Amino acid sequence: MVISMKQELRIYEEQLSDYVKVTISGEADIYTSSELKERLYDIIEKNQADLKIDCSQLNYIDSTGLGIFAGAFKKAKEIDKKIYLTGLKNNIKKLFVITGLDKLFIIEE
Amino acid sequence: METSADIIELILPLKAEYVSIARLTVSGIANRMGFDIEIIEDIKVAVSEVCSKYVQKGSSLAEKFKIIFTVSKDCLKIGFDSEDKSLRCIFNEDNDDFAISILNALMDEVKLCIDDDEYLLTMSKYLERKM
Repeated sequence: MVISMKQELRIYEEQLSDYVKVTISGEADIYTSSELKERLYDIIEKNQADLKIDCSQLNYIDSTGLGIFAGAFKKAKEIDKKIYLTGLKNNIKKLFVITGLDKLFIIEE
Repeated sequence: METSADIIELILPLKAEYVSIARLTVSGIANRMGFDIEIIEDIKVAVSEVCSKYVQKGSSLAEKFKIIFTVSKDCLKIGFDSEDKSLRCIFNEDNDDFAISILNALMDEVKLCIDDDEYLLTMSKYLERKM
């Protein structure tokens, strides 16, 4: 199901048996951040399940987007759920490491 | 000094939808200078961080801001300026720790709070990192 249609950012959500798979593609920057926040937080609240976020098509993220990921982690932690990140490109993984956010998420190749 | 440097100036509205234009522009300049793709990605992120901060903090104070790219043989210096000098020192160490960490990690030199009339902020990347 496509739940976000802003041209620069697309978010797909798929409910699986043990978790929700979220695919984020495009650019997560100041222009798209409000939509990313709204949709990601909504997915966490609505599903109350672990998330696996496929970032293989995420081409760009800045500190605004990273802040939203940090907020999503807090929201998931409040309901004792985990967030897995998969397929992070090297340039984006580097930003998670620089900001220390790599320690909050379960990062899978 | 920068006597043989080329200067490229980009003036953008203080609107979120134009931050990607700054990324595209610096990507082209850095590519032309011979930076490798990984470094170009780093420079794009750094430029975008500053632009985003101006948009967040400055859109009620000014309508536009200027990015000055100074291209010399071994260095790309990126300066930011605005007609509204109250946009000086817009990064706050308490609230902008992600952004400041990113700028300092990705660029070779970062001056966040410049007290002169030419720039509000500058950052530089060297083709061969200065030791």
